[in-house]
Amino acid sequence: MLARPGRSEAGTDPRSAPAPSFGLRWLWQYAQDIPRPCVLDCGPIRSATLAVLLGRSGRLYRGDLISPLKRPDLWDRTRKTPVFRTEALLAELPPVAPASLSIVFGWHLLDLLPREALAEVLLRIHKLMEPGGVLFCLLREPRLEKGADAEWELEGLTGLTRAREGAVAFPYPALSNREIDRLLPTGSVKTFLTRSGWREVLVVK
Amino acid sequence: MTIKGELSAKEDLVVEGQFEGTIDVAENTVTVGPQGQVKSEIRARQIVVHGSVNGKITAREKIDIRRTGNVTGDLQAAGVAIEDGAYFKGSIEILREGRAEAAPARPPMTPRAS
Repeated sequence: MLARPGRSEAGTDPRSAPAPSFGLRWLWQYAQDIPRPCVLDCGPIRSATLAVLLGRSGRLYRGDLISPLKRPDLWDRTRKTPVFRTEALLAELPPVAPASLSIVFGWHLLDLLPREALAEVLLRIHKLMEPGGVLFCLLREPRLEKGADAEWELEGLTGLTRAREGAVAFPYPALSNREIDRLLPTGSVKTFLTRSGWREVLVVK
Repeated sequence: MTIKGELSAKEDLVVEGQFEGTIDVAENTVTVGPQGQVKSEIRARQIVVHGSVNGKITAREKIDIRRTGNVTGDLQAAGVAIEDGAYFKGSIEILREGRAEAAPARPPMTPRAS
């Protein structure tokens, strides 16, 4: 068993208590007829999440699109206005056949992306999803000002824990469901509200 | 210095330098040390990665990527563990014989926009 991360210097555990996630419950019920779904996890590596997803997936793809957002080389600063290198970020995705993914865990990626990159990243993920595939992500409520560095992990298929609360201010305004819906060529958006200030959003292709 | 070629052995192997090619240690353990840089396909009973691997990794039992590990490629094993802080880009396929974890009862379909 690997050591559990996230303990503070004082020895207290900063993680939120595991809470049943209605979004995840819906997701796994929706996917129950897929015995071994192809899953893509776009978040930082969490060993607990990995163990849960490996128990349920046929094939698990991993490509962290969240941690690289801190890298300065993702911005072209040779121009007057810095330009985000969306393709450099998307290079962090593993090779995945188009229309092959049943489930994508995007976590809070969409809240962290520069707005000019949002459409391209969302469309790339959408392209990799099979018809009926689901993107699970977390979107902050406008009232939540800090938490850009938050991290989540799964404790069981439907148990969602914040491994790190996050104290960094969000770089961009909160996204509405309508904005997400507008960027997608097909599909629908389903939202579960929570008390934590994060919406659990499921985009179904 | 980089060693290139096909490496097979009937004992445990530790890679601490640069290697390109294939490593086949089917019944034993391969450990890629913190200084190890491997561009190759690895087949072994168990594989532990502290360093860097680029290529397909197949283990009959377990693949263990430690905190300092940096792996790009496809993993296939009966068990895979990746420590928080490690880098991994690729796919994981678990070799198993059992059934899928039971899922809860199915809800009404067709989600609605909210």
